[in-house]
Amino acid sequence: MSAAHIRATLERLREAHAKLRRRPAREIVDALACAIDVWRDPRSDARRALAAGLPHATGFSPETVREGLERGFGRWRGDDLRELVAGELGPLERLDATGPSMISAFPVTTVLLAGSIPMPSLLALVTPLVLRSPVLAKPAGRDPLTAAWIARSIAEVDSELGGCVEVVSFAGSDSACVEAALEADCVVAAGSDQTIRAVAARVRPPTRLVADGHRLSVAALGPQSAKGSALRSAAKRLALDVALWDQLGCLSPICVYVAPASEADPAAEALAEALAEAEARWPRGAVEPAAAAAIAHERAEAEMRAAAGRRVVMHGGEGTRWTVVREADARVRTAPLHRFLRVHPVRDAAELLDALAPLARYLAAVAVEGFGDETPSLARALADLGASRICPPGELQSPPLAWSHDNRPLLTPLARFGELEAPR
Amino acid sequence: MSVAAPARPDPARAALDARALAWLREPQWVEDEARFEALARDLFAFQFAHCEPYRRFCEGRGRTPSTVACWREIPAVPTGAFKELPLRSFPVSRGAHTFRTSGTAASSRGALHLDTLALYEASLLPSFRRHVLPHLAAGERATLRILAPSPDEAPDSSLSYMFGAVLRELGSPSSGFDVADGSLRLAALLRAFDGPEPIALCGTAFALVHLLDALEGDSLRFVLPPGSRVMETGGFKGRARELSRDALYAAIEDRLDVAPERCVNQYGMTELGSQFYDSVLRQPGAMRRKLRPPWTRVRMLDPETGREVPLGEIGAIAIVDLANTGSVCAIQTADLGRRVEDGFEVIGREPGAEERGCSIAADLGLARNSAAP
Repeated sequence: MSAAHIRATLERLREAHAKLRRRPAREIVDALACAIDVWRDPRSDARRALAAGLPHATGFSPETVREGLERGFGRWRGDDLRELVAGELGPLERLDATGPSMISAFPVTTVLLAGSIPMPSLLALVTPLVLRSPVLAKPAGRDPLTAAWIARSIAEVDSELGGCVEVVSFAGSDSACVEAALEADCVVAAGSDQTIRAVAARVRPPTRLVADGHRLSVAALGPQSAKGSALRSAAKRLALDVALWDQLGCLSPICVYVAPASEADPAAEALAEALAEAEARWPRGAVEPAAAAAIAHERAEAEMRAAAGRRVVMHGGEGTRWTVVREADARVRTAPLHRFLRVHPVRDAAELLDALAPLARYLAAVAVEGFGDETPSLARALADLGASRICPPGELQSPPLAWSHDNRPLLTPLARFGELEAPR
Repeated sequence: MSVAAPARPDPARAALDARALAWLREPQWVEDEARFEALARDLFAFQFAHCEPYRRFCEGRGRTPSTVACWREIPAVPTGAFKELPLRSFPVSRGAHTFRTSGTAASSRGALHLDTLALYEASLLPSFRRHVLPHLAAGERATLRILAPSPDEAPDSSLSYMFGAVLRELGSPSSGFDVADGSLRLAALLRAFDGPEPIALCGTAFALVHLLDALEGDSLRFVLPPGSRVMETGGFKGRARELSRDALYAAIEDRLDVAPERCVNQYGMTELGSQFYDSVLRQPGAMRRKLRPPWTRVRMLDPETGREVPLGEIGAIAIVDLANTGSVCAIQTADLGRRVEDGFEVIGREPGAEERGCSIAADLGLARNSAAP
């Protein structure tokens, strides 16, 4: 791949935009909705290709990939896309309108994908197309499959629309290629803070940058879920949330807060049991030495704190396959991921909110259960803190298609708005 | 006004210190497995008896002085524990000095409590001399320019203390610290660069990057006198743009004309009394690797099993350091390395390496303790 090839591709996509914009918006949205329904079907070529290829490409176990795809794509319907468009942009005709309020697309959008969880990639490629902006997609270094299969699935539904997605692979360290890709009119970049900063420094105005930063999620069990069968049920569902994508996603809970504090021990035990069961059903995938070393280190540190008399209990599976650490307090601690879960005791919802304050700017979702009548006010407080999803345990890895990942709409940041003023 | 006298040193501890110091101060480095074994096990027994949390930690793993048959079985304390607990094997009243790991919040900084600095100095000086100034004749001094704050400015930095000791014992009158109030003192440093004497430019990797950036910003290049060298240590931790070691050394060669084979990386950490240096100046032409002093042992452990990995394979670095008499001598780091020949390599994460997931948890200030002093 060369910078010249990328520039030529951008040019071709701009030309494709000229044709695409002449097609009715409804036709485009219907085609994309059909593509989403294809991804919903586990027997579709696209789903089967990812189920077969992702374990090797990404290191996740086949069982985890299959379950993760079903919990993600399996819940999305084409109609969800239609509802998203209507909810955000109003009637579809507004996309075709000649006035007074017009919505236009950028002639071409570059999408820099990250990570190896496929659902965000589908949305990242589909949303510019909804607005009729062709897409140049750079696949994530860790996932060479998903972007190509998304392009293919769209082409199978609508070949002209499929021709508006070009997947170009190049190393993030290839400055010339990156520069060329950033010459699009709109750039969507996913990645760590460091990646986003690096992209932002290179995007030249007036190119629009839409950044999807990395985030994290947590869970909270209240008094009604902290005991008996309610606890066992919640623990089982949380174990699924942790096990899917090996806890590497922004919707994977890194810790569980338990109120009242006196229930933290049984909660940690129940979660340990549930993670052991999850391991048998959805085995953890490959772990790089650095991650394994971090887990071993955190386990030893927990042992050390327990030895010093702190109320810390470490539960661990074979090797580093899963870990639950019952912490003595609600202090935020290192999250080595790969199925490493901390259980923090909190007195009540108020202490939970205090504990989450240091994480607020990165908070994506909070799985909440067992707070009874307090739930609405707690949910409101969590939303005010920055959480964009509050859901029950077991649902973290099944976000609605229209979930607003970065606390903002999905489509409008990718659109251009024009107002026609009547002559006076 | 009367001041309570510190408690008298424990005779057993004094005897251990004397044995360790005798080894550290020997002019020749001689590998002696039996000597290491005996002192390591005696030290473990002492620390087991005198450091309560460590004793419980060992008991939790079923290891006691009576069950530990060789130094390899001494339970290693994770470096992160130094952030959480005062791991000292002496009474609080005998505390003389505390070194802290770098970090912004006091709560996130590890602390090494010491009742004596004698072992730390006795370890650091011969290692520095042997690997950074191997050709320095007895009584000779070298020009050392230090890209780190002085011990007066950073009294809790073990690295600053180390540089202060090195400057005092080995530095010529034209030596000095070139970081003050958190900034490079560029004018003084550039004067030194123009001098006739070879320079040993020593400091943190991120301070070097700041220096190189400043030189680049002013379009300055220097040809340091023949015999000059660079010693760098630590990571970047968001305090400078991140560079791979190769890129750092290439930039040093570009701006200062010091070849990569004259750049020495030191692997050390606040929690340890001893440091490990690249072999390049001591053994020019041989493969670059970290060499250890004979009173230390470095093992690479499989994080999944805790067992030692075979030569050449990657594992988590675990160290036994007999200079750590006042705290705990066996330390488990979260760093990765591999044993090569008679030394080892530290395996760092490549800057810009892509993550598999989209959780920011691993990137946040929730980050684990790392090796930089």
